[in-house]
Formats: sequence, structure tokens, C-alpha cells
Amino acid sequence: MKQRLINGLAGIIVAMLLGAVVMFVQGYNPIETYYALFEYSLGDWYSFSTMLRNSVPLVLTGLSASVAFASGPVNLGQPGQLLMGALFATVTGLYLDLPAFLLLPLMIFAALIGGMLWSGIAALLKRWFNMDEFITTLMLNMIADYFTYWAISYPFAEPGAYSPMTPQINRSGWMPEYGHFNSNVIMMLFVIIIVWFLFTKTIAGYEWRISGKNSLFARLGGVQTKKNYMIVMLLTGALAGLAGGLVVMSGPHRFIKDIGANYAWDGVMIAMVANNGIIATVLYGLFFSTLQSGALGMELITAVPSELIMVLQAVIVLLVVAGRGYIDILLRKQAERRKVRERTT
Amino acid sequence: MRSLIGMLKIIKVFPPNVVALDDVSVKFEEGEIHAIVGENGAGKSTLMKVLFGMLAPNSGEIYYHGNQVNFQNPGQAIANGIGMVHQEILLVSEYTVWQNVILGVETINKFGQIDEKEAIEQVRQQIDEYHFNLDPQALVGEISVAARQKVEILKLLYRNVSVLILDEPTSVLTPQEIPQLFEELRRLRDNGHTILFISHHLDEVLSLSDRITVLRRGKKVGTVQEGETSKSELAKMMVGRNVVFSSIKSESHKGRKIFELKDWTSIDTDGRTRLNSVDINVRSGEIVGIAGVEGNGQHELVNSIMGLYSPSEGSLKVEGMELTNAPILERRKKISFVSQDRGNMGSCLDAPIRENVLMTHHRLNKRFAKFGGWVLNYNEAELLTKEVQEQFTVHMDTSDAEFQSLSGGNQQKAILGRELLLNTPFILLDQPTRGLDVGSIEYMHRQILAMRKQGRAILMLSADLEELFRITDRILVLNRGEIVANLQTEETSIDEVGFLMLEGKHYEAKTD
Repeated sequence: MKQRLINGLAGIIVAMLLGAVVMFVQGYNPIETYYALFEYSLGDWYSFSTMLRNSVPLVLTGLSASVAFASGPVNLGQPGQLLMGALFATVTGLYLDLPAFLLLPLMIFAALIGGMLWSGIAALLKRWFNMDEFITTLMLNMIADYFTYWAISYPFAEPGAYSPMTPQINRSGWMPEYGHFNSNVIMMLFVIIIVWFLFTKTIAGYEWRISGKNSLFARLGGVQTKKNYMIVMLLTGALAGLAGGLVVMSGPHRFIKDIGANYAWDGVMIAMVANNGIIATVLYGLFFSTLQSGALGMELITAVPSELIMVLQAVIVLLVVAGRGYIDILLRKQAERRKVRERTT
Repeated sequence: MRSLIGMLKIIKVFPPNVVALDDVSVKFEEGEIHAIVGENGAGKSTLMKVLFGMLAPNSGEIYYHGNQVNFQNPGQAIANGIGMVHQEILLVSEYTVWQNVILGVETINKFGQIDEKEAIEQVRQQIDEYHFNLDPQALVGEISVAARQKVEILKLLYRNVSVLILDEPTSVLTPQEIPQLFEELRRLRDNGHTILFISHHLDEVLSLSDRITVLRRGKKVGTVQEGETSKSELAKMMVGRNVVFSSIKSESHKGRKIFELKDWTSIDTDGRTRLNSVDINVRSGEIVGIAGVEGNGQHELVNSIMGLYSPSEGSLKVEGMELTNAPILERRKKISFVSQDRGNMGSCLDAPIRENVLMTHHRLNKRFAKFGGWVLNYNEAELLTKEVQEQFTVHMDTSDAEFQSLSGGNQQKAILGRELLLNTPFILLDQPTRGLDVGSIEYMHRQILAMRKQGRAILMLSADLEELFRITDRILVLNRGEIVANLQTEETSIDEVGFLMLEGKHYEAKTD
């Protein structure tokens, strides 16, 4: 635990130092730049709540990927599942005119179903035709991409808009805001607690974790691995779908082209950096959101382009993942030397 | 007199805290057969791998022909005349014998092609020189395991190796094949080769070696001359106490039929019959052993009984319950299972010990669930782990540690503990003592016999005939997927079972 914390922090610090070197070489002032970066993500209540709001899709898709990878299924379909969730929620919010206390849960439910449907197709392809979800989820991402593009260009398009988008959803389907604080964060906290509890405290979660590490052992121990595979695929699809729904409900309140941006791929990346740990996924999700939210402010104040943040993110991923392996080797070497010294003296 | 090889004060540590070799010094003389014996984990293979350049020692010196050497890799060792045959056979099975032998040191003709005629001739000459009785043109995939082992030795001889290291060469052979190997090794010695031979079978060691070095837990206990020691003395040196080599069975009280396997047939995806109408019955309070050379259907038998795949034909009943096509969880209510593959089938190495012990119990016993059956009760899981730890003397620090932090013997004890506490009427043991040291084997046997006394029905597969003779009531011999004999252990002999394992037909030497 402590070791992983040190590894993570070291990775981040070294990455930022490298970023500083890059900035310095390009003639920017690194201290000023980093100050602006954090000023605009953590500096005041407004920035902080924006950062929290932006972290929701990162954390949710991150959890989707973490739970899937740690349980066995290589679900890489978060981008498609997110889009389908967003579309389902949008359509519900467009056509149902209900009071908020009914419409909000319904839209969230629709988002969950949208994501589940998309991961469920991959799960069934595995069950019926033994097709690897690693491939099918990636293929389904493309289909979701163009399907939603079609949906917002024709059947659900806003008449007269210059680019493909739907009309705005009903006002009661917007996630309530308190000042700048968006309630999608509350939803996220709720989901984090449920996922954490499910994964670490329940019998099902125990079976998923063991299956993820050694599925033959789990199977021989009486675990219904096929059934669990189905459940994990549906659950992680639902999480990604929820991420999409909340993006619509807390952001532009309509489905705009490219609404998913890179959230879902960032989520997969976060799961990898976090080594599929639930808590670590949440922490890295918040940190990456800090970088991404601050990047805009940084660009505003200094001349440093916000793309630098993408470089920083990539370096962090490489350093943390490589460091994890390296620390193990280092610790082993150290233990080896200590033992030898004990023997020779 | 100067020794051929001197290893001085060798220390080798495997992190985090295993001292595999602890200040070991040993000398090997030219032209001797020198056995290295010890329990599993004593450091035998490690010592040889250090000599062979596969592992770098943390400290210590190695002298060869009087010069200090430090082989960086096996290639250097071979170039200097030291070769090693590993436990697993490493050959290309699609290649012929001669192709395998010359692989890497091919003779090239003037067109840059392999000179086949020359190569075959050279290999044939060497086969004749050592009376190896091999066909250089045979495909390695089609010859017996014993023959493949000869090819491995031949490969080294072809590279002019004069020191041969053999890592448990007899473990892959049947009892009948061992004397022939020994014959060949003696012939090699008489030709001036030096042979270093790893084993834990004391009978073999005594019949073959000139000198014997005993290791125990990474330390050298001593080197003795053959003829100046005895089996019991060696055993004492190996384990540090007296070991009794005798049957430890008590009177059996056989009861009703528990396990009934009828007409069990398994045909693989290539259409080959792996199991052919196998019938096995086990009564309560009975231990039935299955003997057989590996690859004669044991794997298929175990996996199909456990439900990893369905049989093509046949039926399985345990305590009258029909389980032929039952899901695994259903089977586990009646069947405890200890696999030969601890790391893949018997445990999850990188999960905590507690979560390994909990497996199967979590579904079969209500006490591990709370709040309507879906939340895991970790307190109960902890208690179960304690129970296993105390009843089965598993040495562990905390139940949170990863399963792989336990030693092999402790892993197996924990697995056995988990399975036996399931309290099922039938217990399936697939080579439960494979890779364990003498002390742990003794312990396993006592636990298995205790289960027999409790009236459980036990089916045990083993490659170790001594083990089968020690604890079983009946021995079935599996040959090419068929049960070829059903023998009362009291009324048969190791020779007879060994013969049946190999030939599959009835042993006639005695009846004539």
C-alpha cells in the first residue's frame, strides 16, 4: 500500500520535473505555468467544483475498466458504452416531460441500460460464438460512434443546427447545480461506494477478484465463471453508460457530436495506472481531471499550449507503470544483498 | 590430488528471504558418479545451476581443472565441457533425433547447407559408441520419454561435454527403464566422463553412485563414499531425523459404495480415445490408488470427474447422487479435490492465504455469508483460516499474505486442509505429494489415512509406486486409457504394477 503510494507520487513528481524541463527548453517559465495549472483547477471553489464535475466521466469509465480488468473480462468498450448511455439518456430526456424527481432517475436508468446493452452484445458474442471481448468491444466502439452520429444527424437532430446535435433535453432532466457544484459528483460518490463495497466485501466480488487472477482455480472451486463473466460485462458496461448519461445531464444538456471526447480512453488509461485498484482509480481520476481542468487556465494565462498536459499524462502513465515493475525488482535486489551480508559477517 | 571441480563457499539467495545455498563447499573428482541428494528445496538443483552458469552465485568461487571459472551462461559451461540435462526434456519434437542433436552446432558443407549425410553418420557413430539403441532418423515426438532423455544426453556428448549433470533423470522413467539408464551412465563413467546426478530416491543413489553429497535446507550435511553408508543413514542425513520406511496402514473398515464411475469414456477433439470404458468403484473407508505412466489418461480422468469437460459416455455417481453432467458447484458438495498443479488448479498464488482457504466453502457453507447471503463474512473466513492453520500445521505469519509466500509444503497443507474441511464423502487426490519433501509427504499420508479411518472414500492418482504401496488398499493400473488391472495392494508387488503400467497386459514372469 505504502509502496504503491510512493511509486505513484514519485512517478507524478518525476513526470512534472520532466514537463518543467520541456517548458524551460521551449522558453516558458515552468513555475509560473504549474502555478496557473493548479490555480485553475484547485485554486478556488469555482475551479475546484469544475474539476470535480469533469472528473466524473474519468472516474466512472476508470472504474468500469478497473472492475472489468481485475475480474478477467478485457472490456475495452467504454467509449462505445459511454456513447450509447449518453444517447439513451438524451432520448429519454427529450421525449419524457416529467418532474425532476421522476425524470432524473429514469434518465440515469436509461444511461445504465444503454451501456449494458452495448457490453451485453459483446458478452453474448463471447457466449454464443466464443468471440473474444477484447476484439468485439473495440469493434462495437466504432459501431456506436457512427450509430450515434447517425442518430443525432437524422432522427433526433435539432432542426436547423449547423453541426449534428440533438435539441436540449427537458429542463427537469438537468442534474441540479448548487452554486457551481454539480450534483453529478454526488452521484459519482454514491457509485464509488457501491462499486467498492461490491468488489471488496461481497461474495460475488470475491469470486470476481479470484477469477480475474486465476479463473481455472475459481472454476474448480465451484465459481460459476460464465455467469460472473456476464454480470461483470453488464456491470462495467452500465458504469460506462452512466458516465455518458451524466456527461449529457450535467454538461451541454444535449447530445453533441464528439461528446464522449477522450473520457473513456482516459478511463482505461487511469485503470492501468491504478493497477485496477478501486481507490487508486478514484485518486488518479481526480488527479487527471485536475491536470485537464487546469490546462485551460494554463493556456489562458501563459503561452504554454494545453497539449502539454497530454504529454504530461502520458509520461506519468509510463513512469508509474514502469516504476511499479522496477520497484519490485529493486526491493528484491535489496533483500538479496541484505541476506548475503547476514551470511558473510 | 587436485579435484576436477571445486565449488567453494557458494551462497545463493532468492529474494525476498530464501537462502537456497548457504556456504556450500563441495568437490567433484574426475571419472566419478557423484550423487547430490536432499529433500525438495534442499538446494540440489540450485547448486548445479550455479555450476552450469544458469544462476549467478551471490558469493563463492568455482574451480575447474584448477582454474577459477565464472560461467556467465550455459553456453560457456558447455564450451568448457560441462553440460546439464534438465528435468523437463527440451527437444524439438517435430525434428528427428539427429536434427535435435546437431541443432546449433551443424556441420555445413561447401554450399552452406547442413551436411546431412555427415551429420547422420556422426550421430550414428556416437549412438553406437555408447550403445544408446536409438534410430537417428526417428522423429523425437514419436519416441519414448526414456529415448528422448538419451537424445538429451547425446546432444551433450556430441558437444564433447565431459562433465554431465543430470537433474532427477529417473523422475520421468518407469521402474523398468531405470536400470538401463544406469547401465549407460556407468558406461559413460568408464569412458572417463564425470557424472553429477541429482536425486531424492535413495535406492537409486546407492546402486549407482561412487560418492554421495547430502544437502539439507541449503547447507551441505556431508559427502560419503558408497559402501560406507546405508539407506537409513542417508535418510537421516537428508531430513535430520530417522524416517521409517514401512507401511503405516491400520486395519480397514470398508463400508458402502460411495464413488461409482461406470463406462467412463472420453474422446478428444482429434477423435482419439483418451479413456475407454473406465469403471471405478470406491467404498467408504477405502483408499484406491491409480498407477500409470503419465499421459495414459490420468489427466482426462481427473478433469472429467471434476467437470472441466463432459465424458463422451458413462455415468458418475457419488453417494447415489447422479453427477455425470452436473455443474462443478454441485459436484463439490460431494467431492474434495487436491490437484497435482498447486499453482494453477489448487490455488490462486497472488491472492491472500485467507481467500485461498475460503474457496468453495464460501458457496457451500452458510456461515460465510451474511445479510441475506451475499455479503462475505470475513470474520468467519479468518476463523476457517485459523482452523486450517492449526489442524494442518501450516506455517504462516498473517492470513493477509499472498499464498505464494508460503513454502510448497505449506501451500499443499493449506490446500489439503481446505479440501478436507469441506467434509465431503469422496476425496480425489491427484499426485497430492508431488514435489514435496519427505517430512511433508509423511504428514500428507497420515492425514489421508485419518480420512480413511473417518470412513471417507478416497481415490488417489500417483506416479510414485512406493507411495501407492504404502497407503492404498487397492491399486488400479491405467494404461492407454484403460484400467488393465485391479489388484489388492497386499497381494501384488511393485514389479508387477510397474510391468502392467508399461505393458498394459498381464505380468507373467511370476506365474510361470
